[in-house]
Amino acid sequence: MNKKKKIGGLRRLFEISIVIIIGCICAITRSAAAAAAKDDQFLLLLGVSPQDEDYYKGLLSSPSSTIKCKDGSFKFSTSQLNDDFCDCPDASDEPGTSACPNGKFYCKNAGHIPFSLYSSRVNDGICDCCDGSDEYDGKVKCPNTCWEAGKVARERLKTKIATYQQGVTVRNRLVEQAKLAIAKEEAELSKLKNEEKILKGLVEQLQERKEQIEKAEEKERLQKEKEDKERKEAEEANLKEKQNGEQVESSEADALKNDIHDKIGEQVESSEADALKNDIHDKIGLLGDSSSSQDVMDGHGDSESEAQHGEFDVKEESPIGDVKPLQEDSLLHATEKEEQLTVDGQPGLDTGNQAEVEEDNSESLSKEELGRLVASRWTGEKTEQQTEEVSSTKDKNHGTEEEDAYGEEYSSYDSEEDDHRYDNDDGDNEDQMDDFGGEDHDDSSPSYKSETDDEPDLPAEPSWLEKIQKSVRRIFQAVTFFQTPVDKSEAARVRKEYDESSAKLSKLQSRISSLKQKLKHDFGPEKEFYSFYGQCFENKQNKYVYKICPFKQASQVEGHSTTRLGSWEKFEDSYKVMQFLNGDKCWNGPDRSLKVKLRCGLNNEVTDVDEPSRCEYMALVSTPALCVEEKLKELQDKLDMMNKEQPTSHDEL
Amino acid sequence: MKKSPNLIFHILFLLLLISPSVFSWKKDEFRNCNQTPFCKRARSRKPGSCNLIATEVSISDDGDLIAKLIPKTQENNESQDAPVEVDSKPLLLTVSVYQDGILRLKIDEEQSLNPPKKRFEVPDVILDEFLSKKLYLQRLSEEKIDNDLGFSSVVYLDGDYEGVLRHDPFEVFVRERGNGKRVLSINSNGLFDFEQLREKKEGDDWEERFRSHTDTRPYGPQSISFDVSFFGADIVSGIPEHATSLALKPTSGPGVDGFSEPYRLFNLDVFEYIDESPFGLYGSIPFMISHGKARGSSGFFWLNAAEMQIDVFGTGWNAGQDKIMMPVDEKRIDTLWMSEAGVVDAFFFVGPGPKDVIRQYTSVTGRPAMPQLFSTAYHQCRWNYRDEEDVFDVDSKFDEHDIPYDVLWLDIDHTDGRRYFTWDKVLFPNPEEMQNKLAAKGRHMVTIVDPHIKRDDNYYIHKEASDNGYYIKDASNRDFDGWCWSGSSSYTDMVNPHIRSWWADKFSYGNYVGSTPSLYVWNDMNEPSVFNGPELTMPRDALHFGGIEHRELHNVYGYYFHMATSNGLVKRGNGKDRPFVLSRAFFPGTQRYGAVWTGDNTAEWEHLRVSVPMLLTLGLTGISFSGADVGGFFGNPEPDLLVRWYQLGAYYPFFRAHAHQDTKRREPWLFGERNTELIREAIHTRYMFLPYFYTLFREANMTGTPVIRPLWMEFPAEEETFSNDEAFMVGNSLLVQGVYTQRAKHVSVYLPGEQSWYDLRSGAAYKGGKRHKFEALEDSVPAFQRAGTIIPRKDRFRRSSTQMGTDPYTLVIALNSSKEAEGELYIDDGKSFEFENGAYIHRHFKFSNGKLTSSNAAPSGAGGNRFSTDCTVERIILLGLSPAPKSALIEPANQKVGVQLGPLTIRHGNSPSFLTIRRPNVRIEDDWTIKIL
Repeated sequence: MNKKKKIGGLRRLFEISIVIIIGCICAITRSAAAAAAKDDQFLLLLGVSPQDEDYYKGLLSSPSSTIKCKDGSFKFSTSQLNDDFCDCPDASDEPGTSACPNGKFYCKNAGHIPFSLYSSRVNDGICDCCDGSDEYDGKVKCPNTCWEAGKVARERLKTKIATYQQGVTVRNRLVEQAKLAIAKEEAELSKLKNEEKILKGLVEQLQERKEQIEKAEEKERLQKEKEDKERKEAEEANLKEKQNGEQVESSEADALKNDIHDKIGEQVESSEADALKNDIHDKIGLLGDSSSSQDVMDGHGDSESEAQHGEFDVKEESPIGDVKPLQEDSLLHATEKEEQLTVDGQPGLDTGNQAEVEEDNSESLSKEELGRLVASRWTGEKTEQQTEEVSSTKDKNHGTEEEDAYGEEYSSYDSEEDDHRYDNDDGDNEDQMDDFGGEDHDDSSPSYKSETDDEPDLPAEPSWLEKIQKSVRRIFQAVTFFQTPVDKSEAARVRKEYDESSAKLSKLQSRISSLKQKLKHDFGPEKEFYSFYGQCFENKQNKYVYKICPFKQASQVEGHSTTRLGSWEKFEDSYKVMQFLNGDKCWNGPDRSLKVKLRCGLNNEVTDVDEPSRCEYMALVSTPALCVEEKLKELQDKLDMMNKEQPTSHDEL
Repeated sequence: MKKSPNLIFHILFLLLLISPSVFSWKKDEFRNCNQTPFCKRARSRKPGSCNLIATEVSISDDGDLIAKLIPKTQENNESQDAPVEVDSKPLLLTVSVYQDGILRLKIDEEQSLNPPKKRFEVPDVILDEFLSKKLYLQRLSEEKIDNDLGFSSVVYLDGDYEGVLRHDPFEVFVRERGNGKRVLSINSNGLFDFEQLREKKEGDDWEERFRSHTDTRPYGPQSISFDVSFFGADIVSGIPEHATSLALKPTSGPGVDGFSEPYRLFNLDVFEYIDESPFGLYGSIPFMISHGKARGSSGFFWLNAAEMQIDVFGTGWNAGQDKIMMPVDEKRIDTLWMSEAGVVDAFFFVGPGPKDVIRQYTSVTGRPAMPQLFSTAYHQCRWNYRDEEDVFDVDSKFDEHDIPYDVLWLDIDHTDGRRYFTWDKVLFPNPEEMQNKLAAKGRHMVTIVDPHIKRDDNYYIHKEASDNGYYIKDASNRDFDGWCWSGSSSYTDMVNPHIRSWWADKFSYGNYVGSTPSLYVWNDMNEPSVFNGPELTMPRDALHFGGIEHRELHNVYGYYFHMATSNGLVKRGNGKDRPFVLSRAFFPGTQRYGAVWTGDNTAEWEHLRVSVPMLLTLGLTGISFSGADVGGFFGNPEPDLLVRWYQLGAYYPFFRAHAHQDTKRREPWLFGERNTELIREAIHTRYMFLPYFYTLFREANMTGTPVIRPLWMEFPAEEETFSNDEAFMVGNSLLVQGVYTQRAKHVSVYLPGEQSWYDLRSGAAYKGGKRHKFEALEDSVPAFQRAGTIIPRKDRFRRSSTQMGTDPYTLVIALNSSKEAEGELYIDDGKSFEFENGAYIHRHFKFSNGKLTSSNAAPSGAGGNRFSTDCTVERIILLGLSPAPKSALIEPANQKVGVQLGPLTIRHGNSPSFLTIRRPNVRIEDDWTIKIL
């Protein structure tokens, strides 16, 4: 019903306009003339803004007076003002008609906000000014809607002002808190740095001692080995005929194993373990972008967060027996994966190879596979999707349900990995691979969350450092020199003390680095964004959850799959926009990126997420941090003005 | 931990590989001539190998010249390479003659001899009106040509031409009467070959395999090939669609490098096509036009919808061949035409001018439809405007930036799962309201409707089509099932008029739920595109209504789809509203149903450049209403390229910006203030010239003469223009030169003719007949008004063309050396068919002896209806007049108006230095004169 009415209305409107086109004679000039007779002054100054009234004054005195166009290029007379012919290139002679293309028409809009229209809107049959003043040639009748529209606008403005009023208070509190917190953290940092210096010295001493002990032990061990060997050789000589070769082999193998075991044991215990760790970290850093490496950095040396990373556990704690097979396994694994990458179509990454794959394989594809493959050229739905489709259609009937390209892309990503897991009954390795692939970004959030609450991990009382100092002093006092054979209990005590101290040192250093990292950030001119640190804002849109973590990264999560929309870049547009760059690569497009527009609001929340251009996201976040006092004043002034300019009567036209 | 880095490296390496350029034209996916047996065979044939002779030549009861083609008895059968087919039956040859110098030649198997199958002849392309212009031959004369043993039969053509059938060896040509100069001929090189249908014999393997596809070819070989010669020709052009030069480069003969494949006519959906290639694209028009300084133009059209391959021979290609029957002194261009199936149904057009040839061709296939005024304005498109909010946002931004536009387009993703005629309920919950909101500002919308129908039993279109058996069948006679946007899809059989009519009904407001009168349609993928088909299209052995094989009509499928859709829109509006349907595929006759565009081009300078010859070629072959995606469909244009594309695109007959979904947003305001300004300016230029464009569309509608034209169409005797396809004429009055390089400093422009040219921006005059070097200005591409012309403009800009209806006109008079100028203006209601009943205004303006006269150019008694407007002329600009007069006198009103200096275009505020008649305010529809005092 409604629809028909609308169409009918539209048609009627159209018919009317045709009648008008056919019926009225030179509407513009005629009505202009008629109006001129009625109200010269009104017509002459049609479309003139109050600021400009002075400029036209000179023309109102007599019909023969002239003034210069605003740009000084030309002179025009009273009769040329609003005569529907453009004389001034800058449109100054035609403020009230459409004759000059660059002109502006001022509508008073009493009761609402005055507005300057492009002159192309004047007498074009469409009501633009709420007071209807832009349509005066009689083609259409525009009702004055300023009062109603103004009322709505005023109400909206009032609400906004109320929000700002509260928001400004919240913001002030935030700013206060931030300043205090930052001061506290800076103090802590300088304290920690001091402690670090002391502790480092102790650890170095301990290490030195420990190495001495170990050297002595090694010497002893070699001596013992030599003796053993001599003894063994003697025995062997005796038993040579009785023993078979197998036994020899096995005992040699044992010895070899022990040997390796010992060596690795040393490494793990010695500082080389750290080196190894660092090495691994570096590699991870290389692999990922700044954000993932930052995550790793944050975790670096922090045993708490490391414990959450499976691979570090393995490295630090694994005895030699575990390390070797792991290497073999993952080597094998990687080869497998490489094969899949090239044969199956490059999970998630290689579209470049797709062409080749297509050329190679398209002939053997089923009709449907081929169709999907070709369609993907235009859509950019990734090859692994096709691959997935392919494999799934081979096994089962694939649903034809249409899904968003992203949905398919990432769900297939998931299923592919799932398959992978099933293929290789080696969950640990798989996880590790994932971490190396830098894909499982969810993992990074716990580690970074820990930052905010890792403070209590360090002993709160200052006496802890003294305690250590004391006990170390004791050690050095007790054992000023050592002799062979090494005193076992003494050696153990040194080792334990060393282990404990260096663990504490690394904890301390981690805290220092995370504090440094944090304080390095730009929290805004008044530190009003300090509270954003360590926070994430989430928003659910259909099947996606958008997660925006300022100073960190932003991601789009669907089920178990996460797409990185970008890592923190900076504030832009005088702290009204947060920019996240270098997210996951888009097929045939840019790296994903996210712009977050900030608005004043009472809570920190994501109000909207959008993808205006493929892979370029845009989010709206409301936050009290944006509720600035100056803006509040501006809004109040605007409201005052609107209240002032109420029309005297409602039916002016 | 050794192999982790390995893996990492691998991933990094793969990441490096990801770049758009890796995807490009997949050459291997398409057949070349060597992989196409009929093409390979025809190409390897030697000149003079045709041994057919014409016998039993006579005049039929229908007034045609008829004859039988039979193999010459082999007295000296030494040529082993051309074995004579024992079962070869006589072929029937028919020559008919039509008004305006058109000769039609048909050669087919003789039906009385019961061939295994009736060969396909394309219906619904040739106008009934044309058939009624047939001249009934009364008699034929016989004569001996040169040293022939046998006779030749001569018939009279309209005008000063004669058609000749030479009997032995068989040859058909058109010549000038009196001097006997040949114009156009067929089989002069003896390359004619006609594979007759025959019953399959034991051991015959007719199957053809290409990649993973097998064509069963149940009827075996049935190809046709022959040579056509254009006499007195310097260039040949036409046979779209190829992304290549306007003057067709030779593909065979000495010195041919790079272009060694024939021009292919096979409608294909080519992903990321490349420029400078004879490769076949989305549409096919087997019509070639020649042009030469010596004689002018002639044209040859072969109505055949099967795959065609055409060679253009370079000079000297047949050197050393002695069996050629042509005078050697002639300057001519030889071509070889090869088709997989069908019959010979060929048309010879004698010209002699380029416009004559196009008039003759469009008298056979139809004149371009008169478009709605709004559709000649600017279109904004993107794959995809995602939802209603996006639509409103884009719409309002145009207003915010004071940039006019008329149409907003919705690509495939506006639908519910790519079921055409439906709307995505989440993204477009209120389509009618949305359209009405835009319509309130005089704007229109276009939605896409493609021919692949999703095979979903809950989809009403599929349900009806499958229940009624409306789908094309595969070789085993089941509904053909192919893959396209909607996944598993079938294709309605548009060759059947009944199915077309059913399809047309789907566009009624009742059937197409959510459509309103301001909604128009876009037909894409109608080659048809089948992602998993051979060469991305339908298998050749698919079956159409009446048992016609797809191979026989492949190239015409998209045309019927376009036709059915266009008819649907006419039906929808009860025959009162002109349809607007954009199609990607096309065929001769497409011009009657709507516009076409050049498909999925790329945001590269070379694609900007090649758009001009592509559109000029379309215009030469009848399709006047055409455009290329402004900005380039694939890829992201740098701002410089985008701006240049807008500046050139503003002169395309069809002016639409479009972009792939993976590209960055590129609405005009997204590239900084300066670029926004430049693009706004370019779009405004189009709106300013809308009255002129609309007048040109009417000219095309009346005569076939395209809106944009090669320079040689206006200056046919100037050789310098023949190979120029970087510049073009808009009508007869404007010359536009594109800028095709980044940050260009200078542009070289050849200005033809003896008269001067006025720079549209500065008003400065430049001499014709020479090449000029201009500084490349940032704010426009070089464009000039030709001295001696009058161009009507509307200089006021509105939100859309709809609001410009009552705005006053500006006339720009560019005087030639004898201080004269002429021009025209056509106006109608811009949307209905009332103009066909005379409801239009057609003015003729002439300036001479210091007096401008407006007179009626409409033929008297052009229908009883009238169209009227109150529009006036607000400004008349005179270029090239001196000394400066002070006033002018309007008659019959006997009123004086002032003459002063004013700017050439008021937008630019350039120094007011051109004589301007201020506010004459004469009504545009009246007769009047204005005398300069």
